[in-house]
This record gives sequence, structure tokens and C-alpha cells, in this order.
Amino acid sequence: MSGTVVFACLDADTLGGIQQVTHTLAQGLAGRGHEVHVVGLRRAEDPFRYVARPRYLRHVISGSPRSSVFERMRAGRLLARIEPGFAVLTSPGVVTRLSGLLPARTRTIGQYHGSYQHARICSHLGSIRRHYCGLDQAVFLSEDDAWLFSEHALLPNVWSLPNPLQSWPAGQAELTATRVLGVGRLAGVKRFDRLVSAFAKASAPPWELHLIGDGPEEPRLRAWARQEGVADRVVFRGRVDAGAMEREYLGASIVALSSEHEGLPLVLMEAAAHGLPSVAFDVSGGVRSIGGLLAPPGDVPALAERLAALMESAGERRRQGAAARARAEAFRMEPVLDRWEELFAHMTR
Amino acid sequence: MPDCTVVVITYNDAARLPRAVRSVLDQTLRGLEVVISDDASTDDTPRVAQALMRADPRVRYVRRQVNSGGCGAPRNDGLDAALSPYVMFLDSDDTLPRHACKSMLAEIERTGADFVSGQISRLYEPSGKTERYYPQLFGKRRVVEGIREEPELFLDCFSTNKLFDVSFLRRNALHFPEDIHYEDHVFGAEMYCAARRFAVVPWVVYHWRRSREHMSISMSIKEMDNVRHRVEAARRSDATLRAHGFGDLVPDRQYRFVRQDLRVYLNPLPSHDLVWAEEFVSVVRPYLREVSDEVIDRMDPMVRVCCHLILAGRAEELAVAARSLNAPQPPPREAVTHEGRTYWGGTPAPGLDITALRMAELPYSASRLRHEVVALATEGTRLRMRVRTYDPFAVLTEWTAFLRCGPLTVPLHPLLSPGGGLVSEVTLDLAKVRGSCHPSIGFTRPDGLTTTDAVLADPGMEPFDLGHLRVRAEGTAGQLRVSPRTTPRVVLSRVKRRVLRRVSTPRLKLKAYKTLIKVLPPREDLALFEADCGNGYTGSPRAVYEEVRRRGLPVDAVWSVARGRAGFPSDVPLVRRGSWRYIWTMARAGVWVDSHGFPLDYPKPHGTRYLQTWHGQGIKSIGFDAPDLRADLPGPREQWRAAVARWDALISPSAEFSRYFVPALGYEGPVLRYGTPRCDALVRGEPPEGVRERLEIPRGRRVLLYAPTYRDSAKSSGRSVRVNLQELAEAVSDEWVVILRTHPVERYKVPQHLRHFVRPAGSYPEINDLILVSDALLTDYSSVMCDYAVTGKPMLFFIDDWDEYRLSERGVNTDLPAIAPGPCVTTVAELVACLRDLPSVHASFAAKYAAARRLWCEEERGDAAARVVADFFGAPPAVPAPEQSQLRRAS
Repeated sequence: MSGTVVFACLDADTLGGIQQVTHTLAQGLAGRGHEVHVVGLRRAEDPFRYVARPRYLRHVISGSPRSSVFERMRAGRLLARIEPGFAVLTSPGVVTRLSGLLPARTRTIGQYHGSYQHARICSHLGSIRRHYCGLDQAVFLSEDDAWLFSEHALLPNVWSLPNPLQSWPAGQAELTATRVLGVGRLAGVKRFDRLVSAFAKASAPPWELHLIGDGPEEPRLRAWARQEGVADRVVFRGRVDAGAMEREYLGASIVALSSEHEGLPLVLMEAAAHGLPSVAFDVSGGVRSIGGLLAPPGDVPALAERLAALMESAGERRRQGAAARARAEAFRMEPVLDRWEELFAHMTR
Repeated sequence: MPDCTVVVITYNDAARLPRAVRSVLDQTLRGLEVVISDDASTDDTPRVAQALMRADPRVRYVRRQVNSGGCGAPRNDGLDAALSPYVMFLDSDDTLPRHACKSMLAEIERTGADFVSGQISRLYEPSGKTERYYPQLFGKRRVVEGIREEPELFLDCFSTNKLFDVSFLRRNALHFPEDIHYEDHVFGAEMYCAARRFAVVPWVVYHWRRSREHMSISMSIKEMDNVRHRVEAARRSDATLRAHGFGDLVPDRQYRFVRQDLRVYLNPLPSHDLVWAEEFVSVVRPYLREVSDEVIDRMDPMVRVCCHLILAGRAEELAVAARSLNAPQPPPREAVTHEGRTYWGGTPAPGLDITALRMAELPYSASRLRHEVVALATEGTRLRMRVRTYDPFAVLTEWTAFLRCGPLTVPLHPLLSPGGGLVSEVTLDLAKVRGSCHPSIGFTRPDGLTTTDAVLADPGMEPFDLGHLRVRAEGTAGQLRVSPRTTPRVVLSRVKRRVLRRVSTPRLKLKAYKTLIKVLPPREDLALFEADCGNGYTGSPRAVYEEVRRRGLPVDAVWSVARGRAGFPSDVPLVRRGSWRYIWTMARAGVWVDSHGFPLDYPKPHGTRYLQTWHGQGIKSIGFDAPDLRADLPGPREQWRAAVARWDALISPSAEFSRYFVPALGYEGPVLRYGTPRCDALVRGEPPEGVRERLEIPRGRRVLLYAPTYRDSAKSSGRSVRVNLQELAEAVSDEWVVILRTHPVERYKVPQHLRHFVRPAGSYPEINDLILVSDALLTDYSSVMCDYAVTGKPMLFFIDDWDEYRLSERGVNTDLPAIAPGPCVTTVAELVACLRDLPSVHASFAAKYAAARRLWCEEERGDAAARVVADFFGAPPAVPAPEQSQLRRAS
């Protein structure tokens, strides 16, 4: 079965998680013989090239980075021309903007890249409750999230699909370095302050915590590390290129994630693929599906305890690392593309 | 082979059949078939069905030769004709939502259940409103291993909201009985006996469409036939359960009968005549006698009373009692109290016990009277009524009375009637009434307290027009209602409102505002005050305003008031929050004073000075640490940062506030450290006059102020009231009264049976009054604890969800149990124990209490407002000035 597949993003070429996943999937599905288009409703201010040689077509609706009155009209014309078999609308914003514009025969898929817990505290839950049951399928990142949306947004059309790993590393971390890795923007939602506290509670020299990423919280976090007495062992590494991340994973022993909210965190998936054990707060079905040693959300002592268990025992790290790598298999490109095609098959029943 | 067969049964419904069939053909599941099962229609149905078949090959048509008179036979025909492994049933006047078939198909394949059951939604066609049937039954998506696991599900005996495994039906030879209406009740009982596992899904899978004719109450003889059939269906269902070894579940099935089936007829019973009621009693009574007492005891008191009256054959009284089943749930005409129990009617009998309603102990303003219209006449635009008022709990001694109808209030002169109760004659000229209203009658006592209750008309009364108004008896209780007819004038004003709403969008207002502040300079002597987003005349803005007034500063003040809020002083201009005048005032005012934040997106005019008083301190996380700013979206944080940048001064009540709150709010400007203006009244501690009387606190009863804070994930849900007030009432109601102060973003209605013990004060205008009249505070994580500490009175903390609140729900900045100036409890039993022994419990916390006061209220000296005004308004001090301005940078 090969229908035309259109992915629609608010802006498709900005640097971001949704865009990364969209281009990876588009390339993968195109490789399986589907005709694939990626549509951005607005031009990206600072476009990023995700795929060197795309096998899919790219379109940008509006020439400006802002929303325009002609956006709907132009989008409608383009979609009528493509007449997609499946339209993947990648966020609640895209769903509301394109509702009513898609040709009647197109089967619509609405994605949500956050967790239920996140949707619930912002406007997303209301938007999903109102608009997603009008779509053919509402797709979430994990079984648990899909379940929660079916119960709390009364959605009859839920489905779950994980995001794919872009590549599968050949090498695995040796797990001998005394280094804990934290990866992500230094923004409030990531709550690296809690990770710093847990690290301070659990660790002794020579263990170091390397934070990779930059963001507005950096000064507060540096002050926090000083207050917790670990300023000398928390290393702010700034932003690291995607290409160089492999080395970072291979050179670490543990990955830790202390976010307030996560959908299906790429860092846990990549860490697992490199055979790295991880600790995290149990904040979503996505986090549970990739696993690791999980602590109750916000429970810093419990996070510290799990961190300590891994620091203390190389054997435990190896056991957890191997299990993580086995779990990560499910997120490889091929099985994820299989699941997309299962979804298409279900939608054509 | 199709995946699913949908059997559409029809009888003489050619007009609606295509809609039903189309709702199936438009399903997201394409691989299905429709079997139209025609019960020998005599109308156009065959031709319509043929056309549907021609248009889509997935449609088939089967037809009975002779009409069966029910739904069972055509369903069986359709089931026999089904070719697919799964089947659903649809009536020709209803429709399926788009995902019904595929969602249940996926669920039955996933779970391997015998059938899947989903939510039914009633869709009222004239209004388009929908209402789900017993949503609590369908709330959880789950697999049930046999009906014994959840016998409540007997309430769901429909065959239409389910997808069945056809082999399950055939294996168990499940068929619909053909000689009875309510065939699905009997079928349902058999289905539950046979099913080893079934699945329940929370989403809507069936639209039960109710057209206008469905809703009108017909007094047909046919309806009595329906009663007979329903009783027969109940009997057969019980027999089915016994025959299949489920005899132990008979009471659960009977519970369904009393709770649901009986109610279907009890609700409209008051609009039937006595003959009907008597026949109803004689039809139902024999079966009700078989129902065990424990089933009836599980029901609400008024249903229990109705059952008792049916059993006793008292049809006339049954009509009176049945009117109390539904809104506005009027009290009985008569009640007696005997040995501490309250009984419905004139004589005590166990079945008539309504003590649990606690109606006899209500405070006067909440007490219940029953006003029945006994005669009604019209004359031009005038409505003349004779109303009989029943006072079953003898609350009326000395009073003046009035009748209110929208803007109209007319005095009443009720006279004692020989027939019992009071009778009043009243004439209302409705010419000036514009909107709709429920007329109500109020009785005012000499102390100023008033009790009001709805006026009930004959529920069987036909609606009639009176000038531009329509008068009708609403609902099954017959509450009198006056509403405008759809006259051109009404339509015009509706259109006007709609156009205005289109034009007055928040976006346009913001745009207009931004233009205004560019061209208009603000007036230095105009100050806009707002407390709690316009919700009241309270808090620190009030204290600051009163101080400004007291000193006679040359400042014109305007107060912001949210829609529908009252209690503001009469000598100050008000603007409705969000209105065009409000926007004008924001642009013009050279001084802004508020406690929560003026609309976040509105920039401050150049030159305006903004005093942010803030509205509390305490243990909660706040600002950038609060959940609404912790989401993975930058928008709200940027909005907040810009809003805080507008502040020119922030009042910080304590060093603790400066330590945590000021940085968490993201504020870096000048901080005023003079204490909290709103706490000045608490420091003075003068007990406010008349508050105990206004809240109807009985003499000698102690007052517990219960002020829980809201839960971020469940605003407006009532779930912040976590103390089981019923249990608490049983333990301490002879000594204590609870004043329940819910958070302004919370909605909670105190149930009537708790009103004897709980005084709702969620919208009481001034919390300081409540603090001052109370004897102790019960809270969880509310900032009120910090203000309350000023008084030195005992505090108790009910923190049963502490871990959840601390870790995931909200987050905190302080470990409450470590510093709490009173006991932290998690159960009502502990709470009761503390209340019984309060003085010594309080004394044992003396050290922690003192520490808390040092932490939160060291600077409260009762002159905070004066010092803030002196500093911010640059006014000549009325009290000795501090040596130097305390305006200083936050550390």
C-alpha cells in the first residue's frame, strides 16, 4: 500500500524536536516507496537542513515567519493539488489551522509530541479534546499517554507510535568513566536544579556532572551548584553539535533526566541505544516506555538514591546498560516505520 | 467479509432512516455492512431502503411480513442476517458517531472480550445539547471479568451502545424477547449472565436523539402500558439471573429498577392526574414488594419516601413527594420530628425518615419553604396568582414577605390559611420584565435575614404567553419560569449582542489600548484599584485605598469590579473589568494598585506608577516555579516577565518573602518592607460587627475557618475540599460550625445536608472578617496561614495529599510539616481528636507558632498601609515617618 503522505508543521525547518522527527520519518517513509511531502505553514527564520538529500518534497506556505491571512487559502490550494492519502498534522496548532482544509478523501492523523501530564497543565488538553476526535486518528507517543487521552479527552481514535532513532550506533559506552550526563536546554521545564541537588546528594569525587546545552537558566543553575557545594564537579559544556553527541554518550557512564515534563525524550532513547544506563523522573508514558531507573516525579532523594546505585556498581551499570540497549531496539527506524505502516493499514480498514 | 454488521431497525420512519444509515456508511471503519431490518413498515420505507442499497453495495434490507410491535423481532432478524464476526444495533431515529465501529472493533480485538460497551449520549435535537448517560459508569476504560465484578453495570442494559462478538451471541443462543417492550433489559440480563469478560470504553459510541415530540409529556394510556412492560421486563430479568445461578445479584438488578426505571415514571408523575397515579401505584406495587428492604435503604431519602408511599398505596401523597425529587427539590408540605428524627408528612413511619437531608436544622437564610401556585389568571400584561406557602419546619415567626421576578419586587401579605400554611394573593405587572427569571418568594426576618425559595406551578400546566413573555412550569417539579418570547425586539438585541461580541474581541481592545496610551498622557491624580482580579473590595489594595481616603489625598480613585461582584463602597466609581471603560481607565490612570496583576498583555502607559501589593506569602511555589509557567512553552513565561517588568514597587511583608517570592516572581525593582496593608485590620483585631449574625453562627458554637487552597490541575472542580465534612459534622457539629472559604478559582457548592454545619463563604467579600470571627483555622497550603498567624489563634493543617502536592501537583518552597505552627493531620479522626483537645494541642505548638510569626509577620505593626501610602504616594505622614525611605532594591 502506498498512499501519498503529507506531514504538516507550523514551521518545518526550524531547529526543534518535532521537525527533527518529521524529517526523519519523511525520509524513512519515502525510502519505503511512499510519496511524501513536508509542508511548513510558515518560513523558518533560521532554517536548518535536517536531511542532506531528501527523497521527499518540501513546501512552505507563507513567505514570512508570521501568520498571514492568506495562509489558509494557500494551504488549501496546495493540499487540494497534492490530494494526500494521509495527512499528518504534527501539533494541536496545525490541527486547528488546517481543520476543514483537507480534501474529504484524505485520512487525517493528529500527533501530539507532549505527554498527557503536559497537555493537562496548558491549553493543549482543551484543544485536543475539541479538535482531535474530528480527525481519523489521534496519535500519541506511548500506550499510556494514548490511554489517558482516551479517558480524559474522551477520544475514541487514539493510537500510539514512538518517535524513531535517527541512527543506530555501532559502538557502546564502556561505562568506566566517572561522568554523569545531563542533556537539554537549560530552561525551567528541564529542572536541572533538581538533578544538581540529586547529584550533590549521591556523589563523591571524582564523579562529575556534565550538562550539555545552553539556555536562560544557566546563571541560576551555576549559583545553585555553588549552593549545593558541587560547583567544581558540575561542568557546563554549552551546546554540542548533534554529530559530536556520539562521543559524549560513549564517554559517559550514566545519563540523568530531571525534567518537569517530557514526552518521549530523545536523550533517553539515544543513551539507551549507546548502552548507557539512565535515571529519570517518571513523568510520562514515554519515559516509562524507554525506561531506566525511574523515581517518582519531583522526588529528589529518590532520584539521588537511583543515581547512587548506578555510581556505586559498575556491574549494575552494565546490566542496566544492556537492558536499555535491548529496549531501544523498538525505537530503531525499521520497526517504527513498520508501525507507521500498521497505522496506515488500520486506517484503511 | 466485512468486519462489522450494523443492524438498523426501523418502523414507519422513512424520513429519518437515511440519516441513520448514512451515519454508519460514513464511519471511519469502511469494511462494514448495514442490515436494514424493517418491521413491516407501511410508509415509504421499502423505497427509501432500496435507494440506499443502490447507492452503496454495503447496505442490505430485510423485511418482516407482519409488524411485531416491538424492537426485539427486527433486531433478531438483523442478527440472523449478519455476515460479519461483530454486530452493533442502531435505531432508525438515532445515529452513530464517526468512530463508533472502528474504536470498539479495535477494543474487542485487543481485549478478546465478548462485547464492548461505550458511552451513550442523549442529543436533544431542538437545542443540539448533549448529555451523557451515567458518565461515572463509563469513566474508566477497562475490562470487566464478569458482571459480578461490577453489578452497578446493570444500569447499562442497552443493546445499542455495544459491539458484540457474533459467535458469543450465537454460542449462547442470545436473542431478544419479541413479546415485550424493554426487550433489551431482559436481553441485557442474559448477556451479563453469559459474558465471561467484557470491555467498557469511556468515549461516546451512540447518539440517542431526542426530538421535540419525545420530550413533551404525554399522558397517554400507552405510557401505562410501558410501565407494565418495564415491570414485566424487571421480573423476567430477575428470573433470568436466578436461572443462570446469579440469584445473588438480584438485589443489584433491583437497585437498577428503583434507581433508574422507577425514576423514569416518578419524575413526571406530578404532572399526571390522580387516576394515573393510582393506576401506577397498583401496577408497580406488587413488584416493589418483592424488592428487598436493603435495596430501598440504599436509595436517597426522597426516593425511599416515594417507594414507601407506593407500598402503602398512597397515590395522592406520592404526587406531592415525587415533586421533591428534582430541581429545585422543594421541601415536603408537612414534616414531623419525633425522637430526634425527621419524617416526611404528618405521621412518623420508618419508610418516611428524611433525617439524612438535615432540612430541619438549616440556618434561616438557607431554610426551605414550599410555595405552590394554586390559582393563576392573566389580565393584559398582568399575572395574578394565589400562592400557598408551606412551612414544614416552622421557621417563620415574624417576617415581611415579597415576591421577586427579575427586576420586579412586590410585597406579599400572606394570611394564615385554615387549610394549613399561608396563602397570599399577588398581582405582577410583567410589562417591564426583559430577561428570563424564576420568580421566587422571600421572607425577611426582623434581623434582616431573608430566606427565598422558588415558586412552583402545576407541572402539567400548558405554557402560555403574556405580552412579550412566555410563562411556563419548568421541569418535573414545575418551577415557575418567565422568559422572553422570540419577538423581533428580542432577536434584534440578540443580534446586537452578537455583533458587539464580534467587534469587542480582546485583541481589538488591546490594539485600541496600545493606540490610546501612545496619544494620551496618563493623569497623575487618577488611580485604578483592583483586588483579586476585580473579584472584591478587599485585600491590600482596599487597605491602601482606605488610607489614601483617610488622609484625603488629592487622588481620584476608580475600582475595578468583575462581572456580577458586589460589596464595593457606594461613593467610588466602578469599572467592569475587561470593559471598554476599564481599558480607558487603565490608559488614563497615572497610578495602578493591584494585588494579582492587571491583564498581563497590557503594557503600562509611559509615566504611570504601578504598586503591586501581592496577595500572600507562604509555602507554595510561585511565579516561575509554579506549574503554569513550568510548561514546555516559552510564551507564558515571556508574558509573565513582561507583566512583572511593569511593577514600580512591590510590597514585601517579610524577609522570608524577599528571600523566596521576590526572585521567584522574577522581580528586581524596589521593594516596600512595611508589613502587609491588609493585615493591619488583623493587628488591630477589632471583631467586626454583625458578621456572626450575617453568617448565622448559633450562639455558643465555636467557629472553624476552613480555607483550603486550590489544586492547579483541578480548578473549579470542588476537589480542593478534601476534608470529609460529613464525617466531621457527625463528630463535632454540636460544638463547632465550619466557615468554608474556598479559593476564588474554586467552585464548590455545599450540599444541603451539610448546611446545618457548614457556612459557605467562598464569595464572602472580606476574608479578614472571617479570620477575626473564627476561633481556629483549618487549611492545607493556603497563604492564609501567614495572615492568620498575626492573630495568634490555633491553626490546623489537613495535608493528606502533601506528597502529591509537594512533588507533582504544585511544588513548595518550604517543608510545611517541619515548620507548621499547628498539628498536620491526614484523617478526619486525627482532626477531630485535635479539635476536642484544642487548647493543649495549641499550647504544645507554642514554640513553632512563635517561629512562624517571626518568619512571616515580624513586621506587622498595624501601620503598613500608612507607611506604604506615605512612601508610594509621597503623602505627608500621619504617623511618625521612618527615618529614611525604605524603598530599596531587592537583594
